Amino acid sequence: MSDFAEAHGAQVRHPGAATYLIIAAFLVVLTAMEITVFYVHALRPVLVPVLIVLAAAKFALVAMFYMHLKYDGWLLTGVFVFPMMIATVLLVSLLMLFAYLSNHMAPLG
Amino acid sequence: MAAQPKPLPVHQPSYLEGGGIAGWLTTIDHKRVAVMYLASALFFVAFGGLEAMAIRVQLWRPDNHALSAAIYNAFFTMHGTTMVFLVVMPLLLGFLGNFLIPLQIGARDVAFPRLNALSFWLALVAGILLHLGWIRGGLPDAGWFGYANLTERYFTPGLAVDWWVIGLLVSGTSTVLTGLNFLTTIIAMRAPGMTYMRMPMFIWAQLVTSILILIAFPPLTIGLIFLLFDRFFDTHFYVASAGATPILWQHLFWLFGHPEVYIMALPAFGIISEVIPTFSRKPLFGYPMMAYSVCLIAFLSYGVWGHHMFATGMGPVADSAFAITSMLIAIPTGVKVFSWIATVWGGSLRMTTAFYFALGMVLEFTIGGLSGIMHASAPLDLQQTDSYFVVAHFHYVLFGGVMFAILSAFYYWWPKISGRMLGERLGKWQFWTTVIGFNLTFFPMHILGLWGMPRRTYTYGADMGWTHLNQLETIGAFILGIAFLFFYINIFKSLISGERAPADPWDGRSLEWSTPSPPPAYNFATIPQIRGRDAWWILKYGRAGSRGVAAYMSGQAPSQPQAGEPAFVEGIHMPAPSIFPLVLSLGVGMMGLGLIIDWYRIILIGAAVVVLSVIGMGFEYADFGEESHDPEHAPSSGGIDVRKIGVWSFIGSECVFFASLISTFIVYKSRSLAGPGPKILNIPLTSFSTFILLMSSLLMVLALAATQRGDKRWARIWLGGTVAFGLIFLCGQVYEFTSFCHEGMGLTTNLFSQSFFVLVGFHGGHVAIGVIWLSVLLVAAMTGKLGRSRALSVELAGLYWHFVDVVWIIIFTLVYLMQAVPGA
Repeated sequence: MSDFAEAHGAQVRHPGAATYLIIAAFLVVLTAMEITVFYVHALRPVLVPVLIVLAAAKFALVAMFYMHLKYDGWLLTGVFVFPMMIATVLLVSLLMLFAYLSNHMAPLG
Repeated sequence: MAAQPKPLPVHQPSYLEGGGIAGWLTTIDHKRVAVMYLASALFFVAFGGLEAMAIRVQLWRPDNHALSAAIYNAFFTMHGTTMVFLVVMPLLLGFLGNFLIPLQIGARDVAFPRLNALSFWLALVAGILLHLGWIRGGLPDAGWFGYANLTERYFTPGLAVDWWVIGLLVSGTSTVLTGLNFLTTIIAMRAPGMTYMRMPMFIWAQLVTSILILIAFPPLTIGLIFLLFDRFFDTHFYVASAGATPILWQHLFWLFGHPEVYIMALPAFGIISEVIPTFSRKPLFGYPMMAYSVCLIAFLSYGVWGHHMFATGMGPVADSAFAITSMLIAIPTGVKVFSWIATVWGGSLRMTTAFYFALGMVLEFTIGGLSGIMHASAPLDLQQTDSYFVVAHFHYVLFGGVMFAILSAFYYWWPKISGRMLGERLGKWQFWTTVIGFNLTFFPMHILGLWGMPRRTYTYGADMGWTHLNQLETIGAFILGIAFLFFYINIFKSLISGERAPADPWDGRSLEWSTPSPPPAYNFATIPQIRGRDAWWILKYGRAGSRGVAAYMSGQAPSQPQAGEPAFVEGIHMPAPSIFPLVLSLGVGMMGLGLIIDWYRIILIGAAVVVLSVIGMGFEYADFGEESHDPEHAPSSGGIDVRKIGVWSFIGSECVFFASLISTFIVYKSRSLAGPGPKILNIPLTSFSTFILLMSSLLMVLALAATQRGDKRWARIWLGGTVAFGLIFLCGQVYEFTSFCHEGMGLTTNLFSQSFFVLVGFHGGHVAIGVIWLSVLLVAAMTGKLGRSRALSVELAGLYWHFVDVVWIIIFTLVYLMQAVPGA
């Protein structure tokens, strides 16, 4: 392996079909759980955190196994995860800023 | 044994020679692309400069009417837009970045040469679109920041803002492509031995700037898309009377706008970090801290946008957070200033024009930085907002900091670029007139601002007491104009009769000085082995740099690449020229033009040109979709292909793109004043679509696995299945949209509908592009062209497809399943 590969932990071995099918099964189950949570009124109080956790799990499964981040080394993970974190911070920041705006400004309309 | 730069033959043709006009139009050589960026920037700087002079003429005396108020507004708008997007960024990234990055890292070109040429042509098209208002529809006049809702069609009818929106969208696309290209190049194409901590500081700056571009431009793109929808499709993203808030634009713009300051400043820091060590004949002081500082500045720069918005009333918590981050950013910036000073300290100084400008930059930028810290204080900022103090501050940063650095770079690298020296005498004249003119123009603005003179003011009354300082500023502006006259004369004289430049006229430290001036098309006959920082210096003098100083002090000329032994250049395989970047850009320009002048045939023709060009580029080389690279320095060495890094970088940028869209949806979903809301969403249908898209991801990885093991039959089946599932998803989306329209919810119905349609529609657009991409691969598979050796092509398409899938996972949760959760 070259310097570059060693430096970035580059690997090329990807999982086989069995792993992909297992991940697909997990994705289906998690999606079913999401929809169930949506329709069960008793779970409404915890709807947001539960849905976020389930979505994050699905996101991570696809990114790690189907997009091979688990196998392709830290460089590509960094190229993806850093902007992903920035995007998350951006989203949360904007929501908080506009929540303040909505609560402290004159009613709309 | 480690490869060393081989001596080059006497008459190796430089990159400037040969090809004629067609050669330039089809070039993908990074150095030629750089020169075209330079020519374009020098063209547009004439516009920006003359607009600035006209502004100063208007403010020469009270109650002046040299310009009409409308023209004055247009001039300050176009001055800012032109200087930022068409002059400074193209000079720092397109010109200097393009020319120097491959040369300084020991590469023969950038990672994606055709994409590089495309970036240039798109930038040129953007510049032309931005200036077409001179011919039809008038110039935009809402300020370079284009604050909503002044830019809405109700307040600014006509075509002027349309040119601005479309021009900036094209310019932004060009810049993002450049960032992606540079990031990939620096990550993957450094010469053997050039670790991150051995890179020249200019490369560090360009690396971090590229990352910043990828995460800073998407919010601007989204803001512009909303504005485009408002102006062309009657949505109300920024219309308060529809329940929206114009503050959304300010957030999206400054999320881009403040990092943009550092997108311009960091390369300038990189330039100074190259020039000062060379002319001080010392290594850069505190290299590791300088590198970390660049990273920290970039990171913090993404969290300070709110200090542009203290006056909007963000609340004490947000104000405090933005004030703290804005103050914190002074620390790594201060580290850089002290490191430069420490590098100069005790050095064996050579007072060249490049060094003069570098020292000038340190001083002037520090003044701008100090007034910047004042803006970090929210109470003080409220007094300074929208006053001339702000104009003074950002000109000290962008002219005193960035333009001084660009001029320093010009005098430093011009011999390498052109093969000719610039005149030192004229250079010194230029330096002193620049310093005098610059400070006369911009320093009094601090005082005028504190006295209350508002920025963007068309004129002022005689009783305000602002006349004398304004006149001083106008005189300064004309002195600055004279300084640039010296500059143009110097360039002209250099090109006509300038002294021939040797390969290493300054006894430089980085690799570009190991090549002839100007360099050959292939840059390096042999890719050098890097043994430490200041790679060329070490190659010349050995690891102990002090020996070089000793040789200089004793009058011994440093070793130069000597003519003689011919380099073994026959084996170097450079990418072939391509006309497609130019043609594709023309197609984009036609689409923009057609949209603005409401001529849909032109849009269709432009779209056809774009599609055909993309297909043409895809099949231009035998290895479809692959760039030709020299095998000796294959960028895919190490198991990670440059294309894979490029696609991941693009995906990273797209994360921020969709985050901006999703944020807007959540903010707006429950602010509608009338019409249907989130309850209209069809969960059963969307659950089915989600299942289909998730399963398409499974089929995609199975297709990749089949391709990798050379199983063509199953590769075809799985690829076909992925395309089919993608089409089913799209059909579901079309059905959903159609049913919403039948239920009375169209694009413009309310804030919920417009933010929903734009978000979900953009995702659908991504799915459609993915389906087209996969269909091309399917055709290749059906015709037997998708063998095991091209598994990477499937993997790249798969990465994009999976990303579209994960975005949908987020959309399904936040938009559909959380429909009952109120927005912000």
